[in-house]
Formats: sequence, C-alpha cells, structure tokens
Amino acid sequence: MKRKTVLGPATLFFLIWLLLLTAIPALLILAVSFLSRSPQGELLYEATLSNYARCFHWLYIRVLFKTLGLAGSATLTCLLVGFPVAYFLARSAGWLRQLGLILLFIPFWTNFILRVYGIVSLVGNHGLLNQLLLKSGLISEPLQILYTPIGVYLGLLYNYLPFVVVPIFSALEKFDNALREAAYDLGASRIQTFLRVVLPNIKEGVLIGSLFVFIPMLGEYVIPDLLGGAKQIYLGNLMVSQFFTAQDWPFGAAIAGLLSLFLILTILLQNKWQKTGVQHA
Amino acid sequence: MFLQLESLSKTFGSFRLEPFSLQVLQGEFFSLLGPSGCGKTTVLRLIGGFEWPTAGKVLLDGQDITALAPHKRNIHTVFQRYALFPHLNVFENVAFSLRLQKVAKHALQERVLRTLQLVQIEDLQHRRTPQLSGGQMQRVALARALINEPKVLLLDEPLSALDPELRMRMREELKALCKKVGSTFLFVTHDQEEALQLSDRMALMKDGKCLQIGTPKAIYEDPVDPFVARFIGPVNEIRCSIGDEQNGALLLVSELGNFKAKKNGVALPKEVTLVLRPEKMRLLRQRSSTQENLVEGEVQELSYLGSRTEYNVKTRQQTLKVFEQELERSKKRNLNVGDRIFLTWKPDDAILFAKECTT
Repeated sequence: MKRKTVLGPATLFFLIWLLLLTAIPALLILAVSFLSRSPQGELLYEATLSNYARCFHWLYIRVLFKTLGLAGSATLTCLLVGFPVAYFLARSAGWLRQLGLILLFIPFWTNFILRVYGIVSLVGNHGLLNQLLLKSGLISEPLQILYTPIGVYLGLLYNYLPFVVVPIFSALEKFDNALREAAYDLGASRIQTFLRVVLPNIKEGVLIGSLFVFIPMLGEYVIPDLLGGAKQIYLGNLMVSQFFTAQDWPFGAAIAGLLSLFLILTILLQNKWQKTGVQHA
Repeated sequence: MFLQLESLSKTFGSFRLEPFSLQVLQGEFFSLLGPSGCGKTTVLRLIGGFEWPTAGKVLLDGQDITALAPHKRNIHTVFQRYALFPHLNVFENVAFSLRLQKVAKHALQERVLRTLQLVQIEDLQHRRTPQLSGGQMQRVALARALINEPKVLLLDEPLSALDPELRMRMREELKALCKKVGSTFLFVTHDQEEALQLSDRMALMKDGKCLQIGTPKAIYEDPVDPFVARFIGPVNEIRCSIGDEQNGALLLVSELGNFKAKKNGVALPKEVTLVLRPEKMRLLRQRSSTQENLVEGEVQELSYLGSRTEYNVKTRQQTLKVFEQELERSKKRNLNVGDRIFLTWKPDDAILFAKECTT
C-alpha cells in the first residue's frame, strides 16, 4: 500500500508561519537591496547593484572583520566554558543532572533585555564588580568594561552559553561509555581517550553548538547596542543604523543580504564537511 | 596457579558479590555462567580493572594486579556490544593500541595484518566499522583485544548479539582460537549450552555467589544443588522421603511409587527431592517385571526433533519430561498422544537433594 504524503495540520501551520514571517520578509529585504534611494531617504524603484558595491568599502570590511573576531572569540570561549559544563551534566545522573539542566535554563525565564541590563548593572562603573574591587583595594578607579568590546563580549558569552552546552550535552549523552573503557583497556590515557575516541565521536555536537552561537552572534544587535553603548559598531547595529538612523534601507538590506549569503555558505560547507567526514574518517 | 582470585568481593548499591575465589589455568577456556544479575560481569570487570574490589586480590602469574590500571594488566577485554570505535576503520580499530605505543609503521602494518588473518577478516581492513555485520564486528573486537597477545582475554557475552546460526559457528571458532593463541579465555555467558560446549571448566553463579566450579560434565552430572541442576539443563523433580537403606542403596518412598537410588555419601535429611534428567529416563512400551524404578503414565505431548523425541508423560501425580534418542529407524513402535507407557531409570542416574525450604 502506498502511503500518501498528506501535510498534517501542524506541518501546514508551520509552513504558513514560515512563509509569512520568514520567507516573504527575507525576500522583501532582498528586493529592497537592489533598489535606489533618493537623497531624502525615499525608496526609488530603480534597480542597481551599487548598494552591494558599497559594502566592500574598507570601512565596512573592517566592521565585518571586527564582528567576525568578536563572534569567533566569543564562540571559542563559549566552547571552552560550555564543554566542561556539558561533560559534567552528561556524566552526572539523576537529580544532579536534572538540577544542572534546570539551572542552565532558569535565566531564560527572564526577559532577554532585562538579562542584558543585568550585565550592565554587574559590570558598570558603579556596578557590583567594580564596587567589590574598589572596596577590596585591588583597584583605585573603576574598570571600564561597559561600553567596550569586552563588555559586548561578556554579554554575548553570558547569553549564548546554554546554546553551546545543549548540543554537546546530547552528543555526549549518546556517546557509548563502553568505548571509553575499550580505549583504557587498550592503553589510552584519559587525555588520549578524550582526543582519540571521545572528541571524534562528538564532533558533530561541537560543530552544531558552535554554529548555534556563532551565527546569531554575527547578527546580534541588542547586546552591542546596550553593552557597547553604540560606540562599538558591529554588523548588527550597522544594519539597524542604516535602516533607522541613516534612512538608507537599500544599503542596510544589502548588508543583510551579504550576511545571509555568508551564513548559508557556512552551513553548506559544514554539511559537506560532515558528509565527507563520514566517508573518509 | 595462573590467574587467581582470592576472596574477591564487591558491594555497590543493593548488590553484593560474595567473597569469590577462583583459580584458572594457563590457556584454559573458563566460563562464568549464571542468570542476569548474578555478578558474573562484575567478576569480569574486577579482573579487567574496570571496577575496584571492596576486598580481596587478583593475582596474575603470581603478581598482585588488583590495583593496576586496565591496560597495565596484560589482560584485554572483548566488550558485550564490541565497543568498536565508530570513527575508525577496521585496520585502525585493531591498530589502536599499537598507535598509542608508537609502534613503527612497518611492524604495525605486519602485526595488524597477522591478527586480522588470525580471525579471518584481512579483506575487511578498510571497511568502516558501522557497516560491518554482527559476526564481522565480533571478529574485529577479537582482533583488537588479541593484538597485544594478552595473557588473559575477557569475553563479556560476546555471542549474545549474533543470530543463532552464526553463534554456533563462532562458538567453534572461539574454542579453536583459544587453543591457537594460548591465552586464557575467561568467558561470561547466561547461555548454559554455550558454557557447556566451550568451557574446559566453568563456574556457576547466582545472586553474587559462586555455587559450583567444575568441568561441564561434572556440573551437569553432579550438580551441588537443585538450582544448579535446573540451570544447567532440563530436570524432573520428584518429592520423596527416605525409607530404608539396603546394601549401599537408598529406598525412596514417593507418591509415584517406591524407588531405589545410589547413596552418594552426602548426609541427607528424611525429606528429599529426586532429580532426574529427561535423557537419562527410558520409555517402555509395555510393563517390564524386571525393571526397578518403574512409573506408569500416559503420553500427553510429544515433539519430534529428528535426533530425539521429547515426551511429556502424565503420571498420577505430575508430568515428567523424557527425551528418547531416535537410535534405530523403525525399531521401536511409534507412540501417540494418549498411549499408556512406563518410565524407568537406573538408580545411578538419580540425583538426590535435601528438600528445599523455599521456592
């Protein structure tokens, strides 16, 4: 009997949702990126590629590299901090694991903006950290963390950490512990077991976790805006300022278009790497 | 003594391995047999170094290895689900320990190939392990564990994941392999037939206790208690009381009649259980006046299995199992369900136990 492929109501709802709220807006932005703009900021319906050409000005290339550097280093730090957490959770059992997972997600019960403001009050000049350091006499004047790249970096790290923990945790959870014992049995040390047996078998989880945080970090706007004090220009707030401050929609759209293209290529590359990895490993 | 366990015990949670002592010879194929949860895998893991004993010692070749790490023991393990490294191919799985030892390329190549040949999978060396069949994985796991020529090879239910036909073939190969490489094989299984076929000697375990150690034949023919008797093969059990003693033979009184049994030297209480193996009993088509130990019954069920026929015989009190070898074609009258027959056995073949208080 041939099974008919009928879309269930849930799938249908999801597809319509995706079409209305993701696909169509994205296509509109793409369309806008090929339009021109009058000096007053009105859209002119004349096709042009000049918006894209402007993107390659050194000024914007520098913003791109600055953003890549920030997102890259924050992703790496997320991995370094998140991996031990995931490892601990995967190896613990029962209530300890439950508690760990709950603690990991409790911050999400608080609004995102509030959490970012939380960081502000923590690292600000009159914040808890500086107060403590001043009182203890370690420093004589407050550390300027807020409104610097470090502040943005801390904000990214704090907000994205759980997203790197979860995929690594689930990969580690699926990892067969007998493999670890087999490695010990064959003479591998703990470090060798980790590098030669554990890591190769959970690399997909690590990769997915990295992309989970790296991609949204590239387009992040709220954190650089609030913690960078609009002094630090990254791709996210560059785009927003083109739309709302400079009234240059086509240029903002072109940046968004290029960023999307870059992300799509990254994902395709990762997929390809994963498949060839499976064949030749 | 080659491998020696001295009062090895282990407690975790509600499980307790009672002090376990065992001596295994060099090159011996030794099985640990018992139902799941009996502690056989724990014993294996204690020997392998994956668990620490609560008390007791493990000695290999006279050296105390109780506290040594798994790989320092010259003991390797074939894990239950093989635990092959999925990211490595067959060659690299087998070469894993040599790579860690930084064995030179040429020597490594040669040793891996020799070991692959030993288990007859040299043509699979470039295959990825997840693509292998159960039997092939089994061979890779064996090769990986054997490449360092361990003094003892631990095998944790290695055949349980294979289909029945392959399992039979691997049994023969395992036994041959043990003799060929000369290592001691310590084999854990819950399958009594597997243990009987493979072992030089075996230990039967239950609830963390070792009940009996001996050759398969000794355990099958002279079990120490009813549990061992039942676990190692099918049995009939008849409640009896000891009536009298007559020149070395015991006279038993039961509801099925009066029987004779050989006295085996063990002091027995009055109430006993008579244990009989189905293949040790004979079916008589008609009453025989010369036979002792005679029980009358009716064929209730029969299964013809080619080499033998298994009968369920209903007697006055209980149903007894009897296996009759199909020795000579058409010599005997075929029996049908409902036929009246007689059962008999030799006094020597009866096993007597004190009546169990529980179960």
